[in-house]
Amino acid sequence: MKKANILLVDDDEIYIYLTKRLLNDISKEIAVSSFTDGEQAINFIKICTEEKAELPEVILLDVNMPFLDGWGFLLEFKKLKPKLKDKVHIYLVTSSELDNDKKRAKDFEELTGYYVKPVSEDNLIEILEEVYKQNW
Amino acid sequence: MWKKVFKIFLLLYIPLVGLTFVLIHLQKKGQLIGFEQVEKRGAEYKKNYLSDLCYSLVYNTQYWCSINYPVDFDPLGTHSEFIKPFLQTITGISDYDQFRFLDMQGKEFFRYERENREIMIFGELQDKATRDYVQKGLALKRGEIYLSPINLNKENGVYEKPYKPVIRGVGPIFNSLGDQIGIVVINFKMARIFKLLKSRITDSDFYLVDSNLNIVTSNVRSLDLGYEIPEILDTLNEDYKLDIPELKLHKDTTFLKNGSMWTSQRLNLSNILETQIADYSKSFQVHTPTDWAIVQEISAKTLRNEFGLLYRNFAIFNFFGIIASLLIAYGYVRSKTRRQQFYLQLNDKNKSLLEGKKQLELNNIQISEINERLQIRNKQLEEFNYVVSHNLRGPVTSMAVIVDMIKKEHEPEKIKILIPKLDQISKSISNLTEDIKEYITILDQNEILIESINLHDVIESIKNEFLETLLDGENFKVIYDLKDWDTLDFSKFYLKSIIQNFISNSIKYRRNDVESHIIFESRFEEGRKVLYVKDNGIGINMEHHSQNVFKLYKRFHRNISGKGMGLFLIKSQLEALNAKISVKSIEGEGTSFKIKF
Repeated sequence: MKKANILLVDDDEIYIYLTKRLLNDISKEIAVSSFTDGEQAINFIKICTEEKAELPEVILLDVNMPFLDGWGFLLEFKKLKPKLKDKVHIYLVTSSELDNDKKRAKDFEELTGYYVKPVSEDNLIEILEEVYKQNW
Repeated sequence: MWKKVFKIFLLLYIPLVGLTFVLIHLQKKGQLIGFEQVEKRGAEYKKNYLSDLCYSLVYNTQYWCSINYPVDFDPLGTHSEFIKPFLQTITGISDYDQFRFLDMQGKEFFRYERENREIMIFGELQDKATRDYVQKGLALKRGEIYLSPINLNKENGVYEKPYKPVIRGVGPIFNSLGDQIGIVVINFKMARIFKLLKSRITDSDFYLVDSNLNIVTSNVRSLDLGYEIPEILDTLNEDYKLDIPELKLHKDTTFLKNGSMWTSQRLNLSNILETQIADYSKSFQVHTPTDWAIVQEISAKTLRNEFGLLYRNFAIFNFFGIIASLLIAYGYVRSKTRRQQFYLQLNDKNKSLLEGKKQLELNNIQISEINERLQIRNKQLEEFNYVVSHNLRGPVTSMAVIVDMIKKEHEPEKIKILIPKLDQISKSISNLTEDIKEYITILDQNEILIESINLHDVIESIKNEFLETLLDGENFKVIYDLKDWDTLDFSKFYLKSIIQNFISNSIKYRRNDVESHIIFESRFEEGRKVLYVKDNGIGINMEHHSQNVFKLYKRFHRNISGKGMGLFLIKSQLEALNAKISVKSIEGEGTSFKIKF
């Protein structure tokens, strides 16, 4: 079984801690890394691309973050995309149930899905199954 | 109003008065001409009547002259039979008062006097040699007749009473041999004639005057020939002479004098008779000293009466003229006043319409302002909603997750790890709540104290709160350019907070390789006060952050600590007082804010 590589981008450290815990509970075979803002995350992606390192297959991207928010990240990611070998599944995670975010999300074809917090264990399993086509 | 009415009335009435005077003058003239004609005709008629009468006297006399009297004519004796048939004729001519024959010495030899209308008697013979008419008569030749002036009759040298005005026709008489035997004298009574002359045809007074303007007869004098008997004039207190020099001209004339209208027609008897006689035969000649004038006077009083009617008519005409003029003037002024009032009202209405329009426009402006404010408020609420849903909901959901985990967790050790996380969440929630509280205070401020603030003073006072600016700008300079304006109506509290945040940001995000500064520039743009706040700091990456510059908890510089609230508060405070803020920035060069008050 392939080891999953998931990147969490969120300024809410509690959320990161909790999500990591949940993923850990689901499987020990999941590698989880995290950044607290979009800027750090996109810089990481850039570096991975340049060094031809392995990219995370799944990114859970928060919308509202300092320095570079989810949308800013997506715009930058769009620029990098042609250079990427493998597909990166980006799920937008928002704490609001506002329609605005949902509408705006539709404009980004880079997005694979959209979740509203809290992201439950079931949600995570759903994502993993969708990306890795196997049961967790 | 009445002044105006009076003015217009005068305007209408003065020409009317002028017209009235002209008309009165013309009418008077016309009437005078009419009177003159009537008077002339009356005088003419009387003149003709008198001259006819005189002619008939002359003719009568001539008849008696043409008879061939017997030789040694003695009518009272031998020739009584001869005279007898004539006596009947003489008696029948009622105007004959006396019929006499006088011999060449002027003594009467036949005297036949009228006793009454039907009876004449032989009178006592007198010697009339001294009388003027006798002397004139004796001087006559054959074919000549003398007509005496009118006199009061005298008998035996004494005026006969009652006074009897007479005119005498005198002519020579001849016997059958052709010798003059004396003269015939016929006394014609004038009483009847005078009565006829004096009868009033018109309202005018009638005078028959001689060439000396002595009044022979008049219908306004009690006596005829009154001037002949001066001794009784005193008792009568009447004047028998017309003292009017214009009449002396003795021609046919009409004139006005002392308000009376005088008409005079000359009656030169000898001239008239001559022409009359000439029509019949040239067989005799008339001598008469009589040169009369028929004078008629329309007295001033009569004229006044006549014209009085005229004046009365014109007075009535003017009375109605005045009333009509007044009514017209009043009507005109009233309609004019009404029209003016109407125009005034129209003007007022126009004015109020215009005012209404202005008010409407003002309302529109106010409404659009309110609308704008509402839109801003809406946006603020939206932002608030966003802040709450993102920043509050996050920790809350995390808390729910932790609680859920704790419930499921059976190992106390693992639960212990989770508890501090809850504490962390509660801290972040309480921080957030504090921030939101500050924001809501701004949103909720309904009554913000607006006052006139000197911008320079505010900046100066805040400047001193920062250590970096205190050391005489060694590290950081605050520069003003407040030429365009430096006072502003705004909330002092907000303005202080705004300036504080700007200066604080500029200090915090300054570049270390340059002399850092912040510039405050006041300008007027499109009639509005604009404040530029510029610094030469590290700037913001607008490509990434243009959407988020003024948003809560947005930070653009990793290495510099900050809450991400400063610009958010600046914007909120400005919007609360209808000011707008926009930003331009270039990374590594600086940031420029533009505030439109």
